[in-house]
Amino acid sequence: MRLYIHWPFCLRRCTYCDFTARTAQPRLMRAYASALRRELEIRAGGPGRKGGLRSLYLGGGTPSTLSGREVGELVSLVGRLYGYRREAEISVEVNPATWREEDYREACLAGVRRVSIGAQSFDDRCLRRLGRLHDSVDVKRAAREARRAGIPSLSLDLLYGLPPGWDGNLRRDLETALELRPQHLSLYALTVYPGTPLGKAVGRGEVPPPDEDAAAEEYLEAVEFLEGQGYLHYEISNFCLPGHECRHNLAYWRREEYLGVGAAAHSLWRGRRLRNRESVLGYIKDLGRGRLPVVEERRLEGAEVREERVMLGLRTSLGVPHRLLGACHKAEEMECLGLLRRERGRVALTAKGMLLSNAVIAELLCA
Amino acid sequence: MDRERIRNFCIIAHIDHGKSTLADRFLEITETVPRQKMADQYLDRMDLERERGITIKAQAVRMEWSPRNGETYRLNLIDTPGHVDFSYEVSRSLAACEGAVLLVDAAQGVEAQTVGNAYLAVEAGLAVIPVVNKIDLPAADVEGTTMELADLLGVDPAEVTGVSAKTGEGVEALLRRIVEEVPPPGGNTLLPLRALVFDSSYDTYRGVVAFIRVVEGKVGRGDRVLFMASGTRAEVDEVGYFSPDMTSCRELEAGDVGYIITGIKDVSRIKVGDTVTGHDRPAAEPLPGYREPKPMVFAGIYPVDSDDFQELEDALRKLKLNDASLTFSRENSKALGFGFRCGFLGLLHMEIVQERLEREYGLNLVITAPNVVYEVEKRNGEVVYINNPSDLPDMAVVREIREPYVQATILLPPDYVGPVLELVKERRGIYQDMTYLSGRRVELRCRLPLAEMVVDFYDQLKSRSRGYASLDYEHLGFLPGDLVRLDILIHGEPVDALSSIVERGRAHEHGKRVVSRLRELIPRQLFDVPVQAAVGSRVVARETIKARRKDVLAKCYGGDVTRKKKLLEKQKEGKKRMKMVGKVEIPQEAFISALRVGGEGKTR
Repeated sequence: MRLYIHWPFCLRRCTYCDFTARTAQPRLMRAYASALRRELEIRAGGPGRKGGLRSLYLGGGTPSTLSGREVGELVSLVGRLYGYRREAEISVEVNPATWREEDYREACLAGVRRVSIGAQSFDDRCLRRLGRLHDSVDVKRAAREARRAGIPSLSLDLLYGLPPGWDGNLRRDLETALELRPQHLSLYALTVYPGTPLGKAVGRGEVPPPDEDAAAEEYLEAVEFLEGQGYLHYEISNFCLPGHECRHNLAYWRREEYLGVGAAAHSLWRGRRLRNRESVLGYIKDLGRGRLPVVEERRLEGAEVREERVMLGLRTSLGVPHRLLGACHKAEEMECLGLLRRERGRVALTAKGMLLSNAVIAELLCA
Repeated sequence: MDRERIRNFCIIAHIDHGKSTLADRFLEITETVPRQKMADQYLDRMDLERERGITIKAQAVRMEWSPRNGETYRLNLIDTPGHVDFSYEVSRSLAACEGAVLLVDAAQGVEAQTVGNAYLAVEAGLAVIPVVNKIDLPAADVEGTTMELADLLGVDPAEVTGVSAKTGEGVEALLRRIVEEVPPPGGNTLLPLRALVFDSSYDTYRGVVAFIRVVEGKVGRGDRVLFMASGTRAEVDEVGYFSPDMTSCRELEAGDVGYIITGIKDVSRIKVGDTVTGHDRPAAEPLPGYREPKPMVFAGIYPVDSDDFQELEDALRKLKLNDASLTFSRENSKALGFGFRCGFLGLLHMEIVQERLEREYGLNLVITAPNVVYEVEKRNGEVVYINNPSDLPDMAVVREIREPYVQATILLPPDYVGPVLELVKERRGIYQDMTYLSGRRVELRCRLPLAEMVVDFYDQLKSRSRGYASLDYEHLGFLPGDLVRLDILIHGEPVDALSSIVERGRAHEHGKRVVSRLRELIPRQLFDVPVQAAVGSRVVARETIKARRKDVLAKCYGGDVTRKKKLLEKQKEGKKRMKMVGKVEIPQEAFISALRVGGEGKTR
């Protein structure tokens, strides 16, 4: 099985983020951590937990608002409760502004094998405008320290499609990133959500909205560049050196079972999708009373499962079996437009198609 | 009741000048409706009417009232529609009365339609009582409006009554004036029956309810009657009056206003303006003034989902039960599939039908831009009428295309004459003359092609005069024009529903506007979409909707797939509001707004 732990605290909220994250207050974090331990204990008692974890992913928010030692303790607790398989993938998301070499070392000692560093950009002005608390030097230092501490798989997150005039340049960022020799890269298009500080600034006309055509160019150029450097483009936003795919995330796209623990965490478990409550305080309260914080539990019907398999599976370069699309004639049309490719009974998006995945998937599922 | 104590009257007023509120006060003062049952604006019953504050169907209500002179009077208030689309209905309502209250908002002053209807009333020989409403409003210009009304009717300003329909001030005095000044109805009860149908409504269980004014003779339950224009024969199941609910009675006689029910289920067999007479003892002549309702504005109405075609047809048929002036016939558009070409009296009528179809029948519709009917003379001398631009015959066989013109009267403050004349010129109008009605109001007369009016003339008129100008018009007939059909091609395919007929000299400019409008209205697709405007085989304008490049959700936080699912659902929902034309998804509103160049907004 696979386990996701959500840590909803951040040092500061990024200007583009529209997820519920709370500022890291020590007392609240302590209360949350013990609620988390409680949920892990309760869930460990359920059926189907035998055989140990194939992967653990500690995400957020900013899990690195915990120290390396605290993360290590959490990893060890999970190990005691669930056990790890020998080849288990244990990942932690780290903000470059937080950890020192000592933290990476502690985490590594406890078994963390993958660190995903939220670099976002190597342009200090862009970083400030995005509301990030670090600069490009911090990112480079973080990568070096993680490596020195013995973390065997390093990933960097980068944003592209920044507003015109910010001088964002994905190609330049990638060249800098590759000097750090990451095994894995995630490229995310900046999405401007209306309620966020960035969204409001765009609404007021203070910041120009990102140019979609320019973003598309950046992306396609990046795909070509990274493939030339030996990286596999294995999912819409993800690239890796062979053997360094994030197996935990791949499981989401493949609709494998996983348990999500923590506020707002989601699970796919025994044919059901579960959702934990979003409120951190509510979550703490529920577990204080020994209750699971699940607010939604839905069994999925056949048609919906098929839809999910198409929607999620098409995000990966492996795609989905052609028969999943049924008698849909749209696939051919999409193929003619160079958005879809068909090989050996499977269909997958091309790079161009990945950029348009929302529309292509809607076409395929609406027909 | 003695005919000497009957008063039949109507209220002529512009939209929002307070007609319904005044009627409500009448109902209260005469205790026709108990105060606790008084919903605001009792007479406007349809939800749509109440929402838009306009009267669509005329109503007639009987009130009994005793002023302090010991006598009891029967006051029949005949409500009239307040919009130029329904001017024929107005004329029939006027023909059912002996008097009219001419109601003008003191804050707004006299409007063009009020003038038009006031003249209709004077021509019909009605006693007209000028009334200034809303005298309680701080913004009211009671004196100025009084002068205008007096000028308009050529009466002494002292004859203008001031009221506040809202507070009730002056309303009782007005009722007294009605009793004193509106003559009692004439007519001999011994003559053969002649009654005017001034409106009708449809009741699911009882069929058509014909609203009538008995002019001569009488009509009672069990009588056999003949509708002279339609030739319909029937037996009267029930006669009665409105108080304001339907109240049956034994008979109605000369001078009375009320209704008859005959069990006829088809509203087109009992037409507004028709004369009811006795089957066994028919009158020699019908009452004057009957006219077939003639639709002037046409539009295609199509279901977005072709499976809804049958449902749309049923809905139109039901609407027509209550609305004889609505016409529809099946048509087949290459772009939109099967639908209906519908004829309306005017734009407001069209909007009302569209809204009712969507609201009352839950239909999801594509409505094409409205167009007028064209008279086309072919080289072989044959004359055909075209109500769909895509039906225009090949220009090689056409000798002349004639289009309908209207005689328009515009009332406006002098300051706005310049911009309004500009508008008239832009819209191919022919300026005729201008008269100063008073220091603050000018009457401007011009001829306009109806086709220009149905686009957005009224909106533009309002916007260029800051809302002060008002418009009235009557149909003039067909005049020749140098006209061509402008076709629109999307992704290389002609979209018949977007064709329009335009003046040759403006085809290029018009084409450019439509094409650039479409570029904004049609969302970017997964491929490049050329949009062209063409006259015959000659392309006069072209734009390209560039293919969409990016539409991607970046991240799945911690296995949360709900965002993606929500997005997918939204996209599916959005697709329902699109019409597929060839391979291109076109939003419904594009069909109507693409041709409405020059301004946004609804027309009223």
